[in-house]
Amino acid sequence: MSGSEGKKGSSSGVMEWIGSACRFATDRNDFRRNLLVNLGLFAAGVWVARNLSDFDLMSPQPVT
Amino acid sequence: MMELQEIGGPFSTTVTDVVVNFAGVQLPLDPYRQHSRKTFFLSLLQSQSMGSVLAAASSSPAPAAAGGSQGVPGLVSVPPGFTMPSVSSVPATSGSDQQTADAESPLPNPGTYEECHRKCKDVFPLQMDGVRLVVNKGLSNHFQVSHTVTLSTLSDSGYRFGSTYVGSKQTGPAESFPVLVGDMDNTGSLNAQIIHQLTTAVRSKIAIQTQQHKFVNWQCDLEYRGENFTSAVTLGNPDILVGSGIIVAHYLQSITPGLAMGGELVYHRRPGEEGAVTSLLGRYTGENYVATLTLGGAGAHATYYHKANDQLQIGVEFEASTRMQDTTTSFGYQLDLPKANLLFKGTVDSNWVVGATIEKKLLPLPLTLALGAFLNHRKNKFQCGFGVTIG
Repeated sequence: MSGSEGKKGSSSGVMEWIGSACRFATDRNDFRRNLLVNLGLFAAGVWVARNLSDFDLMSPQPVT
Repeated sequence: MMELQEIGGPFSTTVTDVVVNFAGVQLPLDPYRQHSRKTFFLSLLQSQSMGSVLAAASSSPAPAAAGGSQGVPGLVSVPPGFTMPSVSSVPATSGSDQQTADAESPLPNPGTYEECHRKCKDVFPLQMDGVRLVVNKGLSNHFQVSHTVTLSTLSDSGYRFGSTYVGSKQTGPAESFPVLVGDMDNTGSLNAQIIHQLTTAVRSKIAIQTQQHKFVNWQCDLEYRGENFTSAVTLGNPDILVGSGIIVAHYLQSITPGLAMGGELVYHRRPGEEGAVTSLLGRYTGENYVATLTLGGAGAHATYYHKANDQLQIGVEFEASTRMQDTTTSFGYQLDLPKANLLFKGTVDSNWVVGATIEKKLLPLPLTLALGAFLNHRKNKFQCGFGVTIG
């Protein structure tokens, strides 16, 4: 009896944590959330700049 | 030599982005001028017959207007900085001294504090609004004038007359002093700057801005360039009678040939109020990239500039303001195709704003056509502009 109640307690705790995480991720007015999102965007932008920008626009087109 | 297309663009004929924040003065924003990320001194190299004297070219960060999204709120942005040829390392001697010379090669001068984020900011397009016609005319080796007619829906339409004088004291292949730049609009508002090289290492600047007959900004800069450091002091809007003013001190030191670190101290005083803001800056320069980070009490500002090749440059910018409780990330790129006489800039940011500008030289005519548009998807707003530069 106490074991099943403990499992229910832990699962409800996990659900609460998941719920709070979802609310944090979707709250556009939260400064910390926006800070994390924009830091991730900045890192993604740096990755794109370093890895996906090596193309030459003036190179001759391949003959098909 | 600075390319005319860089400095003769439709939004670059006027100068003076001055201290505004702590003085509490909200300047009327001219989107072309106040939001300009560059402040240019016009090249006087018009033709062979006019000689080859070049004005000292410099550019400034966008003014940190209150509530604006440019710059870090709370930090004063000083007007256009200075550019000087970087101090080159002492050439290594041959023979047994080679290794010793390499080990003891002096660190390069890191440049100025304001220029650390500039490379990235220059990649981003400027917002355009309405119609702008600019006519540049060089009258001599030392003197150039410009006429600007602006038709705008967001700001006041009008006419602006600008002039640039470059002196005879040549300190480098691309710099001469003194430099006097001024412009006045049809309402009598004046922007003026005087830049002079006092000694080989000391440069001074005085900037004044008026709204019709009233002085709204006046400031004085003094910059000292050492062998591997740069220090500058700016005095903004000093008023002895009232007891108010702003003092900004910058220091930037080369730690390694690629790493430079520095700091900024801003002290402001008004009757009944005074305060200070400090920030630290670190900049790392790689082979084809520059990463810069500024941390202070007002927030954080990080930029990454990457030069993919001669045609493509990319900039990524992150800004966080603790005062405004806001963060923004922007991605911008610049495509430069000199063979096509084309310059294209695009940007997208985390506020769902997408924008682009295109500049095209209409050779053989001395014309440059500029088109620009910005869309704010979140606020459902659209802004476009068109400009022609002659000369």
